[in-house]
Amino acid sequence: MKKLWKDRLRRHQINQFKYLRLIFNDNFVLAFIVLIGALGFWYSNFLGTIRHELLLGKPAVILILLLVTQIGKIATLLEEPDSTFLLVKEKEFYQYFKSAFNYSIMLPVVAIVVVSFLLSPFAFTGAGLSILDICLIAIGLVFFKLAFLNGEMFKMYGREQVSGLNLKLILNILLIVTLIVSVYWFSWASLLIGLIVFVSMQIKNKQICESGQLQWQQAIADENQRMFRVKRFYNLFTDVPGVNSKIKRRKWLDFLFNPIKPVQNNTYLYLFARGFVRNNEYIGLFMRLTIIQAIMLALIDNFYISLIVEMLFIYLVGFQLKPYFKDVMLNMMQRLYPVSGSDKINDFTKLSVLVLCVQWIISAIAIAYKFGISVNSLIIIVAGLAVLLFVGYFYMPRQLKKYLDNGVY
Amino acid sequence: MTLEIKELTGGYGQVSVLKKETFTVEDGQVVGLIGLNGAGKSTTIKHIIGLLTPRGGQILIDGMSLHDNVEAYRKKIAYVPEMPILYPELTLKEHIEMTIMAYGLDREETWKNANKLLKTFRLDNKLDWFPQNFSKGMKQKVMIVCAFMTDARLFIIDEPFTGLDPLAVNDLLNIVEAKKQAGCSVLMSTHILSTVQDHADKFVLINHGQVRADGTLDQLKDKFDMKDANLDDIYIKMSNEDL
Repeated sequence: MKKLWKDRLRRHQINQFKYLRLIFNDNFVLAFIVLIGALGFWYSNFLGTIRHELLLGKPAVILILLLVTQIGKIATLLEEPDSTFLLVKEKEFYQYFKSAFNYSIMLPVVAIVVVSFLLSPFAFTGAGLSILDICLIAIGLVFFKLAFLNGEMFKMYGREQVSGLNLKLILNILLIVTLIVSVYWFSWASLLIGLIVFVSMQIKNKQICESGQLQWQQAIADENQRMFRVKRFYNLFTDVPGVNSKIKRRKWLDFLFNPIKPVQNNTYLYLFARGFVRNNEYIGLFMRLTIIQAIMLALIDNFYISLIVEMLFIYLVGFQLKPYFKDVMLNMMQRLYPVSGSDKINDFTKLSVLVLCVQWIISAIAIAYKFGISVNSLIIIVAGLAVLLFVGYFYMPRQLKKYLDNGVY
Repeated sequence: MTLEIKELTGGYGQVSVLKKETFTVEDGQVVGLIGLNGAGKSTTIKHIIGLLTPRGGQILIDGMSLHDNVEAYRKKIAYVPEMPILYPELTLKEHIEMTIMAYGLDREETWKNANKLLKTFRLDNKLDWFPQNFSKGMKQKVMIVCAFMTDARLFIIDEPFTGLDPLAVNDLLNIVEAKKQAGCSVLMSTHILSTVQDHADKFVLINHGQVRADGTLDQLKDKFDMKDANLDDIYIKMSNEDL
């Protein structure tokens, strides 16, 4: 079992490194450094403005520490076929999970230490905590985190209920109470309570797990969910295979599809429009970028930066929509439809132009809010329209045609 | 509708799976395509529907090849794949709508057909469901409904009987019979020999990418020199020829 864990872990790490290498390409590192620098600058400026203890200082510290303790779960690296092929090894899986537990400690502990460290100057000035207080609370949090991980292990064995209550809920309530007590009055409380909770759970770990039964389906589903979240995070930066996106019905948006007439050359518009609205991946992308753009435009004072933001974001949404077309084209049944390739491209272009128009209108409102009705805002809005037309009627059709011509579609 | 396959050679990449395959499906005929796993049944089907391009030979539907007129060729075929392929973002009802649009069918007429089929397969109360809520068998039924409501003349079904409940298998066979009466042709690949023996007019036995024998059950019996054999016996004899 130890060997199985080691093999899985190695494979997992190789995979992770592959993605991390893709994420940390030159452009991203540059942007990342600038971002970190900007944040650091803002933080130190912010600290400089604090002269005495803030009213919300202590609650803010409690909230941040509470959130950071939620980071990280047990990475069991279970796979779907395990529930069939390794079913006979169920008893020995305890050892496997122990190894998984030990491995999973690292990330949350690092997170707690780093966040506590970064938080300490603020906690010192803004919340009136001493350095010793912060260290004690941080160590207490580490113990709490270990208790949480223990709780997850119990859950895998179907023992997450303690006299009718969810163990995680109990731990969270206890954690909140402990944090309030130790931040406001007595910082040793965190260390003491954390230690007691952790030790009591750790000692009983084996006994509790053995009294339960391994919940294969649940454990595998949880691990898949965890991997999905990790991959979705990577997916923000690079293409990750096997991230199937969530589909929601959104019946209340059905009226949007009414204008699409049921004629043959609208076949793909029918599909693309529904997919765009119902597939969280694409609607989510559009919403994220549009909202970020609108907020930036509403806040930024500088004409040139606003101009760049307006043009760049419209281009980005158009650019990022392209994979959706490819996704649909991979469906084998659609290749059999007696519909020509140019109809497919036309339909997708129609959808893109429509989507970009919505984005353009929202951004125009944000610009008008910031710059008023002026020559400057007019220039920015027209520049946005130019990008829209370029992407919709020049760039997109050409790219899609190139894609269709290269394939066997 | 006739399907002619002449000396078809092809496969994936550089590997030739099919070697000079020749057979025909005549008007109003139900033909069973039979062979071991990996014999080349699905590859043959993929060539017919145009997902793979032949390296040699010809595939003609009513004397017309895919290259003569892609859209007209595709309109003549309806296909039910072995593994159901659906759009995750569309409901059952929308799959039917989309098929109607794609094939340029008459809405009212086709919906009448579709409703009949949906009722047969007990899907008529699930029109607003997404594919993710369907079981494998139900997905397969959706594919069957979408294929058989079209006015295609050639129906190609890959492994239709696995995954369907006995009632659905029976319903499917009735539908196939009805299409046959209407003059359509059906080509189906399968391993369920007892079923296909009773319902197909003709069999094409494929081994190692070649047509080992084809014809009616009586013709096959003659070819293999087995007087009282059923399809099972012939199939096993063919498989043993390799050993």
